[in-house]
Amino acid sequence: MMNEWKEIANTMGNTYLRKWKESGRAAVGYPCTYVPDEVIYAADILPYRLRGTGTTSSSIGDTYFGPVICSFPKCVLQLAGEGRFNFLDGTIIVPGCDSMRRLDECWRKAADDYKGILPGFFHYFGVPHKVTDYSLMWFYEETLKLKEKLEKHFGVTITDKALKGAISVYNESRKLLMQLDKLRVKDEPVINGEDALSIILASTAIPRDEFNKMLRKTLSQLETKKETIKGKKRLMLVGSINDDPEFMKVIEDCGAVIVTDTMCFGSRSYSDLTEEEGDPLFALAKRYLNHAYCPRMFGYYKPRLKNIMDRAKEAKVDGIILQNIRFCDLHGSENGIFERDLEKEGIPCMRMEREYGPLTESGRVKMRIDAFLERIS
Amino acid sequence: MRKETKEYNFDWNMWTILENASKTADGFRKEYETLLNYIPNYRNVLDAFVKHGEPGILFLKIIAKYSNDCVRAHIEGRKTAGVTFCFATPVLYAFNIQPVTLEPWSVLGTVVLKRGTSEFLDYCSELGFTETSCSSQRGSLGAYLCDLATKLDFVVYDSPGICDTNANSFAFAASYLDIPFYQLNYPSTLTDERAKEYHHADFKGLISFLEEQTGRKLDMEKLREIMKENKRQDELTCELLDLQRLKPSPMPPIYELMLYGGRFMMNGTKEYTQLLESMVAHTRKKAEAGKAGTTSGNERARGLFCYIDHYTTDGRLWDFLDKRDISHMGSILFNFWQKDSLYAAGKEDEGYNLEDESLEAIIDSLADQMSRMPMVKQIRGPYDAPGMWLDDTLGAINIMKPDFVVYMGTMGCRNTWGMVKPFVRDLEKHGIPTLYIYADSFDDRVQSWEAVADKLEEFLKIRKIIT
Repeated sequence: MMNEWKEIANTMGNTYLRKWKESGRAAVGYPCTYVPDEVIYAADILPYRLRGTGTTSSSIGDTYFGPVICSFPKCVLQLAGEGRFNFLDGTIIVPGCDSMRRLDECWRKAADDYKGILPGFFHYFGVPHKVTDYSLMWFYEETLKLKEKLEKHFGVTITDKALKGAISVYNESRKLLMQLDKLRVKDEPVINGEDALSIILASTAIPRDEFNKMLRKTLSQLETKKETIKGKKRLMLVGSINDDPEFMKVIEDCGAVIVTDTMCFGSRSYSDLTEEEGDPLFALAKRYLNHAYCPRMFGYYKPRLKNIMDRAKEAKVDGIILQNIRFCDLHGSENGIFERDLEKEGIPCMRMEREYGPLTESGRVKMRIDAFLERIS
Repeated sequence: MRKETKEYNFDWNMWTILENASKTADGFRKEYETLLNYIPNYRNVLDAFVKHGEPGILFLKIIAKYSNDCVRAHIEGRKTAGVTFCFATPVLYAFNIQPVTLEPWSVLGTVVLKRGTSEFLDYCSELGFTETSCSSQRGSLGAYLCDLATKLDFVVYDSPGICDTNANSFAFAASYLDIPFYQLNYPSTLTDERAKEYHHADFKGLISFLEEQTGRKLDMEKLREIMKENKRQDELTCELLDLQRLKPSPMPPIYELMLYGGRFMMNGTKEYTQLLESMVAHTRKKAEAGKAGTTSGNERARGLFCYIDHYTTDGRLWDFLDKRDISHMGSILFNFWQKDSLYAAGKEDEGYNLEDESLEAIIDSLADQMSRMPMVKQIRGPYDAPGMWLDDTLGAINIMKPDFVVYMGTMGCRNTWGMVKPFVRDLEKHGIPTLYIYADSFDDRVQSWEAVADKLEEFLKIRKIIT
């Protein structure tokens, strides 16, 4: 079963996606956990989270983005420029951060030079940086606008019934992933971080009902699994985007197990449920604007610190890896204060800056992890 | 950080330097010339102001007063607010709050101190703030974080949605120092009704925050007075802009710095009005004489800086321009978007108008002003959308008729570095020779000023702008 999760996690065109497309249905890419993908799913379109998996060059990314930009949007643009996202019928861009925001222009401009790489549906989805009554209203209107644009472009009607159905399916996903968390934080975990990440990644690349079916099966296997992970240092992963199970493997191969995280390809994507009563669109707006905050939401340091401490306590971690992709100042700077405040609480931390994409620096990462594990032994 | 750096508070040290600099022209010429020998690190920039007579000296007095006000705020019972340059200060002055504007402090440190603000830049990194963050805040923020400056009571900023690295600096400061903060957050659009309502609601939230922090209600009479002053300043700025576009441009290159520097620190104060009046009068005289604003009175080329200027030690950018008879045709920092400005002609919905008829009108118009501040207006949405960076730059090119455009910024500017390559390509397609420079306007260590000057020189030569 785990091989199937890994196949989905490590390849762009997974079997489910291929079957979905063969059935004549559309797929829409989205880059961030602030997009209420239930709206896409309710239109019978496959929401597919954009990643830079399998990038082997940055020649196109570097042509449009400047030199001091995070490698994640560059890798996404690289794949887009190579036509590897051509299976997408649409893309949504989100101001997750300035670099991701500029993916909008860079992708459009690259499409002048690389024909056919711009999907027919290319939508900018505005997300406020704070939570207030008026910012929620704004976000609700953005969600409504997204729904209307999808309806118009794809000639579909997204009914309240379909939205409620999607909310229910997604909430189930989240509950199942929370169950998976429970298995990760056990004194003797039955799944490591690398495998858990593969499962989480699959949630963003295949239809959710299929995902739920698969995860239910995996959970029942894990719950009865006899073989447990023992004698490893228990770590927590915090910071910039990571969608690479290999990165987790490099860490875990040093003698650790990643038992929890606050990552966006991680607990942030499933730790809050959507209300199933009332106006479904409003419920989605409320959930997505309020869900576990990314540092793009300015001024929410204390709730983020509390989230880390709560999860660290629950998972009984021995240490925390605070990592960020180079030029990601939002995570990078906050990691600096996290380190101060967590160390004060007696939780050992290690800060690490890295590049997104091919693991060109796994030797360095390994050396740093080894040193950290030695420190906390 | 070196022990010596810790011997004096950064702001206090800067204040004594600036206070003394503002008095240098009060004595005899011979005294002044003798004194220059004792300040080798900023003698040229001091002289660049003094040689312009009254406007330059008034500017020195303004920055001396501003730094004095910052240093003495707590002694005088005023609260201090850490703010960013693109935050319109009138509302703070109406509450008798002292704006401590980080970027102008960084500029002053960079221009005046021998090693610039490198130690404060690095100190931020020592605390965990990323070295890739924007140097324009880090340059002075380091001093505030290491308790080498007047304590900040709270932070207010208006860059979320505009510039992550800017917003992140203030969020970091508030978290690190554990002080209250308020953010004005901007959507990606500017002129539609939704955006307007958002701006207004957000600004009302700011007023409530300031009332809470100061424990007093907004003084409407004081605000009206400040707005009256601000209106006059807007008129004078528009007039200056109108004069600047003449050929040759009668506005001296360094006036650009005085115009926006004064505004970022002292917008709405009588001192800034006095400075503008003097700048307008002197520019008008040059215009009447048909002379360029450069020292020689000639103009060989006109350069537009589509983002910001370069603030190397001793302010050598302006000297570079002046020596080559290049008129400075403005930067993004020059554009405030008053409805009456040349820039706003035909784009009135993108401009603001200060209204003082009712409380509601005052607050709404201040919110409009804030949402049109430099950078806040231009880089909030796609750069090639109407009313955004490309549109504004092309508008400025149309009005100012520059011979070339230069992009210079900071290494931390994700937003502009995220799209400057296509932006430059678009400008070149419009026939404008455009250069982007891989340097940091606040940190010479990224690329020395000499290397920047070489690149500028080479560009001007190769593109046959100055032969």
